[in-house]
Amino acid sequence: MSRQVAIRLRRVAICCAVAAMALFASARTRPHYGGTLRVEIEGDPWQRPGGLARRMVLDGLTAMSLDGTVRPALAVEWKPENDDHRWQFRLRSGVHFHDGTAVNSANVVASLTAICGSGCPWTAIHAVGSSVVFTSDSALPNLPELLSGDEYRIALQGSENAAIHESIGTGAFQFTGTSKGVVTLTANDNCWQGRPFLDAIEIYTHRSIHDQWLDLSVGKADLVEVGAEQFRQAHEQRLTVIASPPVSLLAITVSDSGALANPSLRASIALAVDRSALFNVIFQKQGEITGSLLPAEITGYSFLFTTDRDLNKAHELHGGATASGLTIAAEGGPVMQLAAQRIALNLRDAGFNAQVVAANVPQHIDLKLRLLPLESKQPQAGMESIVRAAGLAIPVVGQTPVGLYKFEREVLDARMIIPLLYLPRAYAVGGRVRDLRLGPDGAPELAGASLEDGQ
Amino acid sequence: MNLRQKLLLLLSLMVAVVVAAVAWTVLVRIRQVFEQRDQEETALFVSQFQREFQHRSTEVAASVDRIATSEHARSMAFEIVQSGDASPYLNEAQTMAQDGQLDFLEIVGPDGKIVSSAQWPARFGYVEPIGWVDQPTFLKTEDLPDGSSALGIFAYRAIGRTEAIVEPVRIIGGKRLDKSFLADLPIAPGMQIGLYRDADQATSTEPPSLGPGLGVFDPKRLIGTSGEVANAARYESLIHAAIQSGQESSSILYLTNRREDSVNATAIPLKSDTGAVLAVLTVAISRSGMVEAQQHIRAISYGVAAGGILFAILASLWIAARISRPIEQLADAAEEVAGGNWETRVAVRGRDEIGTLARSFNHMTGELVAQRDRLVQTERVAAWRELARRLAHELKNPLFPLQLTVENLVRSRELPEAEFDEVFRESTQTLGMEIANLKTIIGRFSDFSRMPKPQLERMDVNEALRRVAQLYFPTASGGGQGSNNDVNSESKVQCALEAAPELLLIDVDPELIHRALSNLVLNAMDAMPEGGTLTLSTASRDDMVEIKVSDTGEGLTPEECERLFTPYYTTKQHGTGLGLAIAQSVVADHNGTIAVESRVGGGATFVITLPRADESKS
Repeated sequence: MSRQVAIRLRRVAICCAVAAMALFASARTRPHYGGTLRVEIEGDPWQRPGGLARRMVLDGLTAMSLDGTVRPALAVEWKPENDDHRWQFRLRSGVHFHDGTAVNSANVVASLTAICGSGCPWTAIHAVGSSVVFTSDSALPNLPELLSGDEYRIALQGSENAAIHESIGTGAFQFTGTSKGVVTLTANDNCWQGRPFLDAIEIYTHRSIHDQWLDLSVGKADLVEVGAEQFRQAHEQRLTVIASPPVSLLAITVSDSGALANPSLRASIALAVDRSALFNVIFQKQGEITGSLLPAEITGYSFLFTTDRDLNKAHELHGGATASGLTIAAEGGPVMQLAAQRIALNLRDAGFNAQVVAANVPQHIDLKLRLLPLESKQPQAGMESIVRAAGLAIPVVGQTPVGLYKFEREVLDARMIIPLLYLPRAYAVGGRVRDLRLGPDGAPELAGASLEDGQ
Repeated sequence: MNLRQKLLLLLSLMVAVVVAAVAWTVLVRIRQVFEQRDQEETALFVSQFQREFQHRSTEVAASVDRIATSEHARSMAFEIVQSGDASPYLNEAQTMAQDGQLDFLEIVGPDGKIVSSAQWPARFGYVEPIGWVDQPTFLKTEDLPDGSSALGIFAYRAIGRTEAIVEPVRIIGGKRLDKSFLADLPIAPGMQIGLYRDADQATSTEPPSLGPGLGVFDPKRLIGTSGEVANAARYESLIHAAIQSGQESSSILYLTNRREDSVNATAIPLKSDTGAVLAVLTVAISRSGMVEAQQHIRAISYGVAAGGILFAILASLWIAARISRPIEQLADAAEEVAGGNWETRVAVRGRDEIGTLARSFNHMTGELVAQRDRLVQTERVAAWRELARRLAHELKNPLFPLQLTVENLVRSRELPEAEFDEVFRESTQTLGMEIANLKTIIGRFSDFSRMPKPQLERMDVNEALRRVAQLYFPTASGGGQGSNNDVNSESKVQCALEAAPELLLIDVDPELIHRALSNLVLNAMDAMPEGGTLTLSTASRDDMVEIKVSDTGEGLTPEECERLFTPYYTTKQHGTGLGLAIAQSVVADHNGTIAVESRVGGGATFVITLPRADESKS
């Protein structure tokens, strides 16, 4: 054998080896069907918004892409009329609920009506053939973005099972049952988006973060929650953490009645809060400090809103007013309670007598610490979602950045809402989970995930 | 009250007093002993409790020490000092507190700011306001997130202090002094512990203290192992004393009106490192057991004392009866003797003084009877002799003229007939007179021996007196009452009648009482041969009537007064000695008495008392 032949043979062997390795690698990275994903969460999987089971079982008329644009979901197309006072959404055909009921405009209208009742952003909703028509007295330029939100997912109304959790939808997974705090979802083989890779998802509810991490470390869980303040700890424990960009606004909503009817006192409160302590210590430098309602990456003018604490000014505005004790409550777990305690301390420094109370007690609450989801990366739609989540009945005006800035300035000057931090969402995943990505709201997209062994 | 009752009362009183004194002494002593032992026991319990309290303090210090010397803490301190970033350790205090079983734990950075706080996690970045005194443990009031404050035992340690690191990381840990802490302490049966704290001061910059300026005592602030302490208000004075003095204070507290609901309480002031009283620990030990034991003993004592007294009374009754019965018999016998029954005898028991007395009594009565018999015999002989002498004397006087007359008549037979006739006539006349005189004498004796039984009639005593006065003083006024004077012309005696103004009725035999009064009047007139004043008076004396016959004569000697009423006794030359005896006999027959009051040269007064007539009887 000549030397050239030998060289040629060697090249062929190398090429074969490379091809074999490439095939092996391809086979290894290709998603596997099957398997049950075990998810552990602290809260309720059906809670609205953000409930994990709710996201898997129900679809909306529209959905938000990772890049922040709205894409079709149950509605394939939509068009505004009459200067955004009327919207018509044409439904996707051939879509069925998990019980086999065909999705039609009447079902959608019934679901959306049941969701918000008289508090809907629109004035009326009608089924017109295979379309759903929204009409409103005021313009709804961002209705498609609004309908992509978790709140407006479509569930079958009227069935016995549906009455429990609005648990019959059109999502990639269907609700099978709940046993001993474990919600079981199984793959929807007839899903309009295609069958998910996973056969089933078991959601273990009301598990503490400590137990979640422990189960993940011993292989009893595949996906667990990680709070923003726990990033460092998760890294120290060598957990695989996937985090979203900042998607939730930590803010104080302020009551304008009772002791805080005085705007100066509300302004004093806004100046008394120490955001840096919250950011640096409690939330362990995760997310970003903000004085605005929208993050800087969306608007670009966030720096115009001050985030510094000015205790002297706060004292000055407080002016020794003898406001009776303020009550502050926090929605959420221990870290939110801790943040509320810290804010109460900040307020005491400014001369307020603030006490942290439970959020569910029937009493007047002056300040409420909340996490407001940013449901759209479109500035106006995002602003609408924040304002709506904050419970402010203010129509968002301003199509241009300048107009939106003026609107935000007016909202913040009223001190009805005090933005503090933008926080990301994060999860720790087990080693066998593949292709798990977080959605634009930071929630895991389990429909696209798979398990390595498929078991 | 008779002798037996006196003896019974005396003995009973004596025994009762003795028993009561003994019972009281025993009870007082028992109470003292019980209370002394109770106080000693309380002091022991309090001492044990304080040792246990100190032991808990030591445990806190040891826990803090263990945490400070752990590798983890040292590593953390090193990282904080090196990096200057304490934020990763926000939750370390809670973990450490849990590991060290502490209620409070704070990690304080080199800059004096709190890195992590178990009791108030949100306080990171704030300066820890303690003075880092060099004490193993100390008390401190800790502010809590809910606005309240809590008292705790604290200790602190520096972590990894070296020459290069002047300001190290410190941890300060402690245990809460609350009802759980109290409940965890070993408590003896009957012991109740409490903790009194001042009101919560949530936003205070200085630790609250219970200084002298403590306001109104709030019983609700005194907590025990199971919440509020019952009857907490009773502890006020004790707690105040401990706060004011800053020293341990003890006292017996009565929680209710019942003695068994009392406690031996000790208040122990709990001070901060600066000496301020932060709280007062109360240790109360029930006295119910002791009080119940005392009451049990007292009940037994009272029962025994009552039984003893009852027994003593019965014994006294028996003793008094035993002692007094012979005396009573003697007294009865003496009364019998006094009543004239000299034959009375008493039984002689034993050879003691009572027996001797009984024998002496019997001997005395025997002697009395014997002497009476002898006296009667003697007096009888004397009476006969006196009677014989009187009879001889009375009869001898008329017999002598009779003898002379008869002898003269015999001699006169020799005389001429005419003279003889003269003598005969005179002699027979004399003989007749003397014989009549003898008859009179014999009649008097006969009358005395035959005193008639009184025939009672109701009459005014003044009237009886006036009848006598008119007999011997005819010119005396017969009517009216009051004083009246008259003079007997033969004896020159002046009579004064002083009748009582009221009607004094008596039931008498008018003739006999007239005779008695006449005898007294004649006696008085005889006593004043040279003249004088005879005073007759009447007066009322309760239910008696008093009649006085007084003279202003020579009077009588005591011996004469004594024998004056003896029959046939007389101090007169020609008296029969029967006048006063008859008067006494008459008065005695009318249930009255007669007595004489006299002194030599002072006259004599005879006093007759007669019972006043019962006007309800006709």
